[in-house]
Amino acid sequence: MNTQDQHGRGRTGPRPRRARLLAATGAAALVLASGLATPAASAAPQARAAQGAQAQEAAKAQKDDKSGGKVLTVAVAQSVDSLSPFLAVKLVSTSINRLMYEYLTNYDPKDAHAIPGLATKWEASPDKLTWTYTIRNTKWSDGQPVTAEDAAWTFNKMMTDEGAATANGSFVGNFEKVTAPSPTQLVIKLKKPQATMTALDVPIVPKHVWEKVTDFSKFNNDKSFPIVGDGPFVLTDYKADSYVRLKANKDFWRGAPKFDELVFRYYKDQDAAVAALRKGEVSFVAGSPSLTPAQAASLKSDKNIHVNEGPGRRFYALATNPGAQAKNGTKFGDGDPSLLDERVRHALFMAVDRKAIVDKVFQGHAVEGQGYIPPRFSTYFWKPSSGQELAYDPAKAGQLLDEAGYKKNSDGKRVGKDGKPLNYRVLCHATDPNDKAVGKYLQEWWAKLGIGITLDCLDNVTDPWLAGKYDLAFDGWSVNPDPDFVLSIHTCDARPQTPKDTGATDNFICDKAYDDLYAKQLAEYDPAKRADLVKQMESRLYDLGYMNVMAYPNAVEAYRTDQIKSITTMPSSAGNIYGQDGYWSWWSAVPADSGDSSDGSSSTGVVIGIVAGVVVLVGLAVLFTVRRRATAEDRE
Amino acid sequence: MTAEATPSLVEDAAATGPAKSGPAGAGRAPRARTTTAYLRYVAGKLVGAAVSLLAVLVTSFFLFRLIPGDPVKFMTGGRPVSAEQIAAYRREFGLDLPMWQQFTEYCGKALTGDLGTSYQFHVPVMDKITEALPNTLVLTGTSFLLYTALGIFLGTRSAWRHGGLGDRLNTGLALTLYSIPSFWLGLLLIIVLSVGAGPVPGLFPTGGMESGGKEGFAYIVDVVHHLVLPVVTLVAVEYGQTLLVTRSALLDEMGSDYLTTARAKGLRDDLVRRRHAVPNALLPTVTLIFVNLGRTVAGVILVETVFSWPGLGGLFYQALSVPDLPLVQGLFFVFASAVILMNTLADLLYPLLDPRVGR
Amino acid sequence: MTTAETTKTPAALGPRALAWRRRRASAARFWKEYRRHRAGVFGLAALVLFALVALTAPLTVGSDVSSVTDAPGRPLESPSGHFPLGTDQFGRNLLGLVIWGSRVSLLVGLLAAVLSVAIGAVIGITAGHFRGWYATVMMRVTDWFLVMPTLVLAIALATVMSRSLGTIVLAIGVTTWPTTARLVRAQTLAVESRPYIERAKALGGGHWHIMSRHVLPNVMPLVLAQTTLIISSAILAEATLAFLGLGDPTVVSWGGLLQDAREAGAVSSGDWWYLVPPGVAIAVVALAFTLCGRAVESVLNPRLGVSR
Repeated sequence: MNTQDQHGRGRTGPRPRRARLLAATGAAALVLASGLATPAASAAPQARAAQGAQAQEAAKAQKDDKSGGKVLTVAVAQSVDSLSPFLAVKLVSTSINRLMYEYLTNYDPKDAHAIPGLATKWEASPDKLTWTYTIRNTKWSDGQPVTAEDAAWTFNKMMTDEGAATANGSFVGNFEKVTAPSPTQLVIKLKKPQATMTALDVPIVPKHVWEKVTDFSKFNNDKSFPIVGDGPFVLTDYKADSYVRLKANKDFWRGAPKFDELVFRYYKDQDAAVAALRKGEVSFVAGSPSLTPAQAASLKSDKNIHVNEGPGRRFYALATNPGAQAKNGTKFGDGDPSLLDERVRHALFMAVDRKAIVDKVFQGHAVEGQGYIPPRFSTYFWKPSSGQELAYDPAKAGQLLDEAGYKKNSDGKRVGKDGKPLNYRVLCHATDPNDKAVGKYLQEWWAKLGIGITLDCLDNVTDPWLAGKYDLAFDGWSVNPDPDFVLSIHTCDARPQTPKDTGATDNFICDKAYDDLYAKQLAEYDPAKRADLVKQMESRLYDLGYMNVMAYPNAVEAYRTDQIKSITTMPSSAGNIYGQDGYWSWWSAVPADSGDSSDGSSSTGVVIGIVAGVVVLVGLAVLFTVRRRATAEDRE
Repeated sequence: MTAEATPSLVEDAAATGPAKSGPAGAGRAPRARTTTAYLRYVAGKLVGAAVSLLAVLVTSFFLFRLIPGDPVKFMTGGRPVSAEQIAAYRREFGLDLPMWQQFTEYCGKALTGDLGTSYQFHVPVMDKITEALPNTLVLTGTSFLLYTALGIFLGTRSAWRHGGLGDRLNTGLALTLYSIPSFWLGLLLIIVLSVGAGPVPGLFPTGGMESGGKEGFAYIVDVVHHLVLPVVTLVAVEYGQTLLVTRSALLDEMGSDYLTTARAKGLRDDLVRRRHAVPNALLPTVTLIFVNLGRTVAGVILVETVFSWPGLGGLFYQALSVPDLPLVQGLFFVFASAVILMNTLADLLYPLLDPRVGR
Repeated sequence: MTTAETTKTPAALGPRALAWRRRRASAARFWKEYRRHRAGVFGLAALVLFALVALTAPLTVGSDVSSVTDAPGRPLESPSGHFPLGTDQFGRNLLGLVIWGSRVSLLVGLLAAVLSVAIGAVIGITAGHFRGWYATVMMRVTDWFLVMPTLVLAIALATVMSRSLGTIVLAIGVTTWPTTARLVRAQTLAVESRPYIERAKALGGGHWHIMSRHVLPNVMPLVLAQTTLIISSAILAEATLAFLGLGDPTVVSWGGLLQDAREAGAVSSGDWWYLVPPGVAIAVVALAFTLCGRAVESVLNPRLGVSR
């Protein structure tokens, strides 16, 4: 076992010690220098500007030797769960699906009314049960024609294969039969009238490709590229947790996108994404769900960056456990009984200063909450009348609680019917900073009211939530142009059949008056009348006090104006860019004149950096072999 | 999180009492005078490692069953699902079986390299791990080489001139960096060297491993560019331990008679150090090095999170929040195996490297 | 009192007093030795300072400092005369928060270390004392915990349990004890091989007597040094877990502040003043404990040659 042998006995001349020292210090210095050397041209003061210019140069240079395309890079905060339209549920994945596959209908970027997509026109039969769609004459990216048969096959697959119903099964729940009597005609027969037939957000896939799939619950559509589609972009490459690359579909029926390539790059960390935008590595940052006030403020000072702020599509609410109950009447969960008293719910909400939440937590990047549906959807937006409104009034809240019989004890704590001080568990999402922030405010506001809370911040709230084991919970949904879904989740029917099932219900609400209105609006095909019914539902929901909307957070996003000249927001007057109802933003984005793409991080700098890095490694390697040899040699 | 990381062997040295003139760790190594003795020693170590691995498998299985959260409820994500469908999912993922049966099945499959299917990605756990493993290895491998080299180099230097200004600066700096939370250092580096602060322009990418769309040499260059900051962070917080162990091992060695003899022979100080002291003192360091390598693989969770590095650590954190049980279990197993593997390697190499063990 | 006792003649003292006196003398000797370690003295000074800051925090800043509804400033103000370290995203005074946060960080570090060392000491002493299959099993368990990736295990434990300070203490304590157990066991074996233990046994000393009267006092210095060192890593671990979002969000701690800063986007906005103070505080305290621990260690065992 002679280990010395391994070192070799080759003679080396005596190395001066200094050389070694030099190598070592050099190595250390180079690690830093490898970076410092990068934009050597950019002197300190105009570092930022110079960087931008450099990025452009690099990008231009790169453009020539590569495919010659203009690339739009989007920083996203979610990783793709699946590229299969039958499985994808995360926003990033459904957004990408929307770019890959055309849907039957689309939404107008101005006011989100339904406009033609793959279907050029549609009509309902007089009995409201049969819908006929005329399919556009267009082609898949592999040259095959798109037919009504593709659409019929897609819907039928979702109706018959449980795996294929994973993501969008709810859309076909009310379908009786789907057929394609001719290549341009799609007929859908319904069980009951359904007002949402122009809002079927289901990607239509090519039958000739997808009929080969055996197990829809396992097929992720991410193995063979390019992926055949008929949307504005064709997916060409995907690396899990890294990026998704799409190229423009030049034959897209609505017209080719202006950018040649679209890349969604995944940044786990929002700060990293923002820094990447600042340096020109990406063209657009959406944030998750939006940029923080601090980030927005600091980006505004950058002259090449535009911070886009539009009304959000989300509402941010405080849900109250109404005493969870299954459809079969079994009660479950352990919501605090005091919350069953409407006065208590109202009192709690009246002690919540919505203005302070908007000002302090969202720092102005939100709108004070009123009705259930955000003002962005003006057709359905409703707000309480002054008599109905539960305005911020802690004193009155205290009175209400007194009336309800929850009086303060000698310690200033309100006592429940069981004689114990009231202490509510508030379920919050550990991943959402806003939940935690608002939670801190609630704690102090309600403490003044004499009510204690425990913030239960969890990564995964579904479990206690579905089991009804909470008193209050932070809640929020993205609202679609058609509000049917967010309304449906508060109907009695959405509750689980038994405590063992999972229902579609959001918060176990069950109210007869609300349900009646819901049924009426679903069968109402006249838009104005339907909107009126929806507003009545919102009013009812407000009075019940189970869903208290605190704010509508704005969408705060940013893009580089030296890379993107213009981009369509939705609504087009003042709206958001990422996560639109449609593909408008990326389809419409126009590259800036300089023609720079976002893909060029200064490549010269990179080369220098690398060379330095390699030198470091080699230096260290040499250092050590030399030392080891020396040891061996000296020992002889 | 590193102070407790004292490797078992070095501790053993302390545990077996003052190991006269021998490097720490020698206490446990057999006086392997014959090959048979060594082989017996190897066999013992291998069995020990196998037992540890099995124990890890058991823990990973049961520990993560305690995580609150029903995976089926997560998978169905609040969508309306009937009890029958839930039952079907449970059957599919084997969650309907009694615990012990789930466990035996899990073990059986694990032996064939099948760690189950990830709940959230709908792919085999093994695929997910093999996908992320190279990324983690690139990061940890580079950092490991650098911090070990740096630690040994500075440690020897420090010990030889112990008490001097250089030594005090050296140990002081090492201890300070060692006390810094790695994620915090990472964030500061991002602010200063990546975002750019004041006159310093942003030089390095803020995160990730590649810009995408590059091939060949440009790709390598790109990855190295992304590698700089995470590696600097890891090296900074990790080299201190190697430095300190090398230093104290060498100090121990320096009191030895044979060094005095060597000096008395009139050998130059420099030569005595290189020829005699360092090789012997390096022995305890070797064990530390291996153990560190194993630990670094598991310890990169923070750095990977801060720098959005697409490796095992980031995956672990992502999987825990679901909880994606098969993935969490698989990763935990990989992390623990890395440590066990490296510990065993260190144990096996030790007698081979010890020059005092007869041949 | 001290002077009064030392003036008595040894003969006049009972055995208990004698023992006390011996202990006092050795403590004095220890302190004399310890004082020679400059780094150790520096560490101790830093610790005393931090302890004072933490203990007097209710008087200097008060719990109001963490109130969001009565925050005095605007969100994310940079340092000024009024707010020496600026404000956080709620407009709270960061200096006050760092001071207030020291209470939780130090407390958690301390408790976790005590828990860890207690587990380690109990297992170490019993495994050293009882030998046989019990020792074998215990040492196997220890070995096995030793190879567990600590951070991974702690994260897993913290995820399994609810978010609270107790969880964090437990997660750290349960994962860091094996080193102590090994060291203590070795020391126990050494102590028990001494003749006077033999004598004690012969005189009818039971297990409990031997362990508590003879072994424990002898391993105490080691345990002390170990505690100091583990506090350092426990404070880092607390910060790490809080940073990963596994801490209690309603409690102000240094790690929690760092997480808040990150979530507020302080990194990409270049709001360094939000990030630097909590991190520096963590590093200084961790360093101080490490320095103390090393000094104690080298006083007890000069052969380690730690800071000669």
